Amino acid sequence: MNIVVAMKQIPDLQQVRIRNRQPVLDGVPMTFGSIDKNALETALQLKEAAGGNVIVISAGTEELEDTVKEALAAGADEAYLVLDDELENIESSVSAHLLAELIKQIENIGIILFGEGSGDNYSGQVGPRIAEILGLPEVGYVCDIELEDSRVKVTRSLEDCEEIVRVNLPAVLTIMADINEPRIPSVTQILKAGKKPKQILEVEDIGLDLKGDKKIITLSSLAPENKRKQITVKNGEELVDALLTEGVIRR
Amino acid sequence: MEFKLSKEQELIQKTAKEYAEKAIEPLVNQIEDENRVPDEVIEGLRELGLLCLPVEEKYGGAGAGFEGFVVGLEQLARVSGGVGIFVSVVMLGTSTIAVHGTEEQKEKYLTGTCKGSWIPSVAMTEPDGADPRMLKTTAKKDGDHFILNGTKRFITNTNFAGPMVVFAKDADTGRINGYIVDKFCEGYSISEPWDKLGSKGAFLSDVYLKDVKVPVSNMLGTPDEGFQTLKVTMAMGKIGLSAIYLGNILAAYDEAFNYSKDRIYLGKPISQFESVRNSIVDIAMKYEAAKLMTYRIGYLADNTANKAKLVKDSAMTKIFVTETAVDVSRIAMNVFGSYGLMKDYKMSRIYRDAIVGPQIEGTANLLKTVVATDMYK
Ligand SMILES: Cc1cc2nc3c(=O)[nH]c(=O)nc-3n(C[C@H](O)[C@H](O)[C@H](O)COP(=O)(O)OP(=O)(O)OC[C@H]3O[C@@H](n4cnc5c(N)ncnc54)[C@H](O)[C@@H]3O)c2cc1C
Repeated sequence: MNIVVAMKQIPDLQQVRIRNRQPVLDGVPMTFGSIDKNALETALQLKEAAGGNVIVISAGTEELEDTVKEALAAGADEAYLVLDDELENIESSVSAHLLAELIKQIENIGIILFGEGSGDNYSGQVGPRIAEILGLPEVGYVCDIELEDSRVKVTRSLEDCEEIVRVNLPAVLTIMADINEPRIPSVTQILKAGKKPKQILEVEDIGLDLKGDKKIITLSSLAPENKRKQITVKNGEELVDALLTEGVIRR
Repeated sequence: MEFKLSKEQELIQKTAKEYAEKAIEPLVNQIEDENRVPDEVIEGLRELGLLCLPVEEKYGGAGAGFEGFVVGLEQLARVSGGVGIFVSVVMLGTSTIAVHGTEEQKEKYLTGTCKGSWIPSVAMTEPDGADPRMLKTTAKKDGDHFILNGTKRFITNTNFAGPMVVFAKDADTGRINGYIVDKFCEGYSISEPWDKLGSKGAFLSDVYLKDVKVPVSNMLGTPDEGFQTLKVTMAMGKIGLSAIYLGNILAAYDEAFNYSKDRIYLGKPISQFESVRNSIVDIAMKYEAAKLMTYRIGYLADNTANKAKLVKDSAMTKIFVTETAVDVSRIAMNVFGSYGLMKDYKMSRIYRDAIVGPQIEGTANLLKTVVATDMYK
């Protein structure tokens, strides 16, 4: 069984500095989104439990060929990539289209894993879109996976409860960040990563036009400003009154 | 000319940083108090390939070369100077054996270290000093053995089983050679550990060798190669020291920079003061200079066939980086004021660690004579 993990290349957020309220991305090395790393760890644990191959899929700029070594060092067996310098800030429908084409190249797929959201835009759309394109079942908010022959028992972490579902394979699962702690790649694996097999596709092979309005343009990435009311009170009674008036508490 | 880490080196740096922050940082106070590197840290380093970075893969090492070694060790030492010395001495022992050892010696001692449970040591220094010309420890040939006698001072990692490369004088010829002694063999004993000011964690003691029997096959190199072995050991040790104290500088930089932004004086962070800002810039410049020299010596070690030739460059790098670390710690301490003196603040440990660098692996004075001899020859 092949376990596919989709991972998105993003700048290493720990090294991004803010200048004039804008992120400075110059010289910041690329890495993968942190929940994507949880998804990869999930795949590696599934492989350790039941065998199979872990295949990373990703679409991005040419630098991705180097970035993917991080996933291969962490234990992925193989990578399928679409590389093109035009693939920066692409919109999730385009990503989904490209990744779905990559998935079609892979045989004997059991599980396709995604992080719940990417490390940059966090739209959370690509997983469900791909399930739709490929006509596969999709389960979101996954916090635990148990393999059961031709299906999986999946726990979903919902706001005030957990839901347990069974789903036939192949299936798309999008996982939560707290599902595991990704392993630290060993130096030996890091040095072997470059030698692992990679399948590389061009955008033309997929027949997609990247020109036009299929890019995401970030207008502002600032948190909305909260105006504080700064109400002054003299005693407990006034405080209660103020809280009642503001609707914070009720009688 | 390229001034950029490869992707692989970038990932080695990340692995070392992540491991140091996750697994070593929470134990730093314990390492200081108990003055030993915990077993779980040693195992973690071994599993991740961080213990034997430059050792060839066929002996169980990571095969990351000395470039990989300096980049990785910098990050480990940034979190703990003691762990830095511990790992550096492992490198020193394995490199000395890798350069001058026979295939059997490498197979046994390198594999036993990288894949087994051994931790190597190298014993040069004696109560009279670290200068090889005044060694008093003797090796007397007796059939197919040498008999070693003497006292070694300030030796690291003596408490672990594994090989110790002992430099001794041949009782008959007066020539100096390295001999591999299995620690805790008959006649091997150690003192109580020295309680040093800084870089705590790496166990340091004296070693007493009393009629220690070493098979002839455990001599490193041929009898007339001893001086070359010594030069290689001296060069390698300095590469390790440079990486450790580069990590120390980076730690001081991180601490001082963050503190300058967090410490509020009359409603504003102290980073508003030009004098504080200048201090931070001085530290940053010194870090960059030390980094260039350290990474370069890693490059040279990977690209110089005769490692004995590295003596001068490694000495210059080690003097510069360790003295810079002391300078940087002093500047960083000034950014902190009294808080930096307190044990609760990392800065106090970084300062104590920095002081150690120039006094070990050859003092700066001694090393300058080595460099000068080379320059005026
Ligand atoms: C934490 C730590 C770990 C260590 N680990 C090891 C180890 O694993 N193995 C090992 O063998 N040793 C080890 N040492 C010993 C260390 O390398 C030596 O102590 C160091 O090289 C200095 O030697 P010394 O103490 O004899 O100083 P001395 O040589 O006595 O120096 C005293 C002073 O005289 C000056 N001086 C000496 N000779 C000359 C000269 N020729 N020209 C000019 N000035 C000179 C020195 O610069 C210094 O100022 C360790 C020491 C420490 C503290």
